[in-house]
Amino acid sequence: MRIVLACLVVLVLLSGLPFVASAYVLGLLTLAYYFGVFAMSWDLLFGFAGEVNFGPTFLIGLGAYGAGLLNSQAGWPVPACVAGGAVVAVLGGVLLALPALRLRGPYFGLVTLVAVLLLTQAVTIGSHWTGGEIGMSLPDVLSIDDSTNYWTALAFMGVSGLCLLLLSRSPVGLILQACGQDPVEAASLGFNVSKHKLAAFCVSALFSGLSGAMLVFYFGTVSPGTVIDVAVGVQVIIAAVLGGRRTIIGAAIGAVFLIVAGELLRPLGQLSTFVVSAIALAVILFFPDGLLGYLLHRTSRADGPPP
Amino acid sequence: MKTLVLASCALLASAATTFAADPIKIAIISENSAISGIAIPNAAQVAADEINAKGGVDGRLIELVLYDDHNSAADAVRAFQRASSQDHAHAVIASYTSEVALALEPWAGRLKLPFITPGAASDELGKRIHGDYDHLKYAFHGYLASAFLAQSVCDAAKDLLVDQLHMKTAVILSEDAAWTTPLDAGYEACLPKIGIQVLDHLRVNPDTTDFTPIYNRIEAKKPDVMITGISHVGVQPTVQWANQQVPIPMFGISSQATSSTFWKDTNGQAEGVILQLVASDTVATTLKTLPFAQAYFKRFGVSPAYTGYTTYDEVYIIADAIHRAGGTDPDKMVAALEKTDWQGTVGRMRFFGKDDPFTHALIYGKDDVSGLVVQWHDGKQVPVWPLNLPGVGKMVFPPFVKIGAAAAK
Amino acid sequence: MTLALQILIDGFAISALYALGATGFTLMFGVSGVLNLAHGGTMLVSAVVAWWVANQAGAYGGALAGLAAGLACAFVTYGLIVRPIQRSRAIPQEEKEIFVLTGTLLWGIMIQEAVAFFATTSPHTVRPLIAGVINLAGVRTPTNELLTAAICWAAIGVLWLLINRTQTGKALLAASINPRALTLLGYELSRIHLLVWTIYGVLAGVAGVLLGAFLGVSSDNAGTLTASAFSIVVLGGLGSVSGSLVAAYAVGYLETLTAYLVSPSLRTIPSLLLLVAVVYMRPQGLLGRR
Repeated sequence: MRIVLACLVVLVLLSGLPFVASAYVLGLLTLAYYFGVFAMSWDLLFGFAGEVNFGPTFLIGLGAYGAGLLNSQAGWPVPACVAGGAVVAVLGGVLLALPALRLRGPYFGLVTLVAVLLLTQAVTIGSHWTGGEIGMSLPDVLSIDDSTNYWTALAFMGVSGLCLLLLSRSPVGLILQACGQDPVEAASLGFNVSKHKLAAFCVSALFSGLSGAMLVFYFGTVSPGTVIDVAVGVQVIIAAVLGGRRTIIGAAIGAVFLIVAGELLRPLGQLSTFVVSAIALAVILFFPDGLLGYLLHRTSRADGPPP
Repeated sequence: MKTLVLASCALLASAATTFAADPIKIAIISENSAISGIAIPNAAQVAADEINAKGGVDGRLIELVLYDDHNSAADAVRAFQRASSQDHAHAVIASYTSEVALALEPWAGRLKLPFITPGAASDELGKRIHGDYDHLKYAFHGYLASAFLAQSVCDAAKDLLVDQLHMKTAVILSEDAAWTTPLDAGYEACLPKIGIQVLDHLRVNPDTTDFTPIYNRIEAKKPDVMITGISHVGVQPTVQWANQQVPIPMFGISSQATSSTFWKDTNGQAEGVILQLVASDTVATTLKTLPFAQAYFKRFGVSPAYTGYTTYDEVYIIADAIHRAGGTDPDKMVAALEKTDWQGTVGRMRFFGKDDPFTHALIYGKDDVSGLVVQWHDGKQVPVWPLNLPGVGKMVFPPFVKIGAAAAK
Repeated sequence: MTLALQILIDGFAISALYALGATGFTLMFGVSGVLNLAHGGTMLVSAVVAWWVANQAGAYGGALAGLAAGLACAFVTYGLIVRPIQRSRAIPQEEKEIFVLTGTLLWGIMIQEAVAFFATTSPHTVRPLIAGVINLAGVRTPTNELLTAAICWAAIGVLWLLINRTQTGKALLAASINPRALTLLGYELSRIHLLVWTIYGVLAGVAGVLLGAFLGVSSDNAGTLTASAFSIVVLGGLGSVSGSLVAAYAVGYLETLTAYLVSPSLRTIPSLLLLVAVVYMRPQGLLGRR
């Protein structure tokens, strides 16, 4: 409960930013918040269901392109497109998860990676509709006002984070953790492991897809480089691990940290990615519990999930 | 390291000049780890230093703010937004990739920030400005549009391939990218007009690494020449062409081949490749070309890629426009930029107007920017066209290329 | 007829290269349980160093330097990233695999960015060891391409001899089946790991240099190279060297056939679809053990 209160306080503080910060900072954080939702969705799957998803961008990309195509080809209004995108992502997630969850460890990871590659090919082949590598511009955007976009993103992240956090701490979440850490034991206790993992996958797909769809309406464009590229997926994974796996909130912190750090290191030019990766690597080697995980362990053992 | 020093200098300079006249800030957005990309900030630096050494523009010094966009449209847009709201840049010079430049165009309009691309080629750039002039007039296309690149290649092909070598057939080989769609359309229209029949047209994925099947397909058609449109790829197709000893010469656009490092990157297997470019370090296109190329070489140890020449000119053009506009008001700058008539390193630089189909693109013509054609030979770019160029040389091909059959016909 | 022969020869060469790259990768997993996602980066480093040194010291000097660089990169990967994670007490045992994956992934990115910084994103090609072409029944093939295939097979042959005919090799094989039993027999596991990384370094180094000479390599390719090796290895069966060979040839020929007969732009699709099919229907791969 303390964590939830702390998060609410932080959210309230953050919502005051548009009154003091520049448009550029707001834009940066808006992107970071959407990334935060990507990372939190990933953490649900990894930290709890124990499945490493190497292609989070498969789900994100489906949500993004689903929403984008509904807007540009069918002319639907923005909220309908966002919902539509989320539905596409969940459908895609189920299609991927049903067979994939039968696989263990590295095979699951590989299939998720292949899913991303196939989606990229599909976008390229269907470039007549999707705009291919260049991507497509959308007729509608959420808003042109920076503050509105910021608050939308903040609210979205807050609500998603709350949902995911509460889910992770609910009885279902505990069962999920059990399924993830010791499926044999969980099964022997009578829990349907695959059903729970599939459910986790769907939830992860829902939030990833929603966030992907919101992101494209923020940018006003959608392209493989922003929502499907394996490099984006890698950033999501790094954000979640960096922030602290199995904490949900840590993933959001990790995402904000990554995006802000990438920006702060801008003067380094080409080397900024190198330095950020090096920092992330150092954190993984020396603070494997991630930023938040480390803090949680330092303060209290009773609060966080058991290691 | 350069950018770190530069950034610190920029910071110090901006602190110092709050007491002097406000500096003119030009944002430079490009991909520093690409050969054509790094030439942009480098050349901009050469130009800025020259202008500042002479006292700046009306007493205001030029200050460059550098961004690396990693060739990503999303990063470039973020950099553009930052240049406008955080760094208060007065103008932007950005990218050589059409996809990135196209993504920046609407932002130039939204943020009212004049922007020039020194290297992108897609016709769409000018066409979109024409179609939505009031919003997009802040964008300028500081390079030849693909349609003109195709025309330039055809004009050279007429003199060199048809008149001299009696060639009759060709296969077009281009990468699948935004800039080549109009380029290929241009080739397909103009080649038949000079007497060359297009036998086939191959568009390759820019991520291709193995060109063997592609060359086999081309060879099976038995064309006299391969007309190229490549930029994202260059080293690999060229090296594999030489390794496989494909008997068909390469002629056309090959952006990577414009830089001196291309010879090293291909271990000299660029021998015989013929390419069109806007300026080269071996030809005095104008009186400014060679001094710039030498200054660049002295400072950076390599000759500038094609984007270096246009960037150098465009820094001067921006400075000149600010001088004529009497300040950095965006609308006045746009009006002044439209009246640009500048003798640069690439020729006489003027922009098309509001009523022309390619609004704000560089005007192509014999007395404007016409480009030239060079051939790589023994590590140097030997000019081969226009035929009346001082120092123009004869075309020489590596032994595995078969020209004789066509010439004998 | 010429087309069929062309496909046969081209497919053979590219498959051999895939096989060499995949073999190191699968051996690493089979014996040490490590999926090294910096694999592409290691090959990249070998190719780029070979290119750079060849400019001063000629083709052979370059090739040797490239090999040395690949080996060095492998050792750094092991010593700085994999071993600390494997020995870490802060990471629970069941999560070590994930951390090794993420760690090597990050390291691979660092390698890629470092190469881009020093050598730009432009592709570099290694000077061919033997220049020129050979005419085989009407099909003109660069000699270096045939040499590449020969060297790949030689390397794989040496590896096979090592594993099946020497004491050390048998220990490696045993370690991949039951490491604990091996320690009971008095073998030092850490020595075994070191040996595997050495073999891996050599294989990746040779593969990198050959790839650089055959096709050329750029820092942008690092990720694709890893993904490609990963796919082939899973197709063949994680941990099975012969499986990787079969899979490499399957993928190599599928790609070549598609490129020649359908379209070069679609060359990767059939192999991706095959991979998906195999993973669903026979997840242990063609020749893998469950």
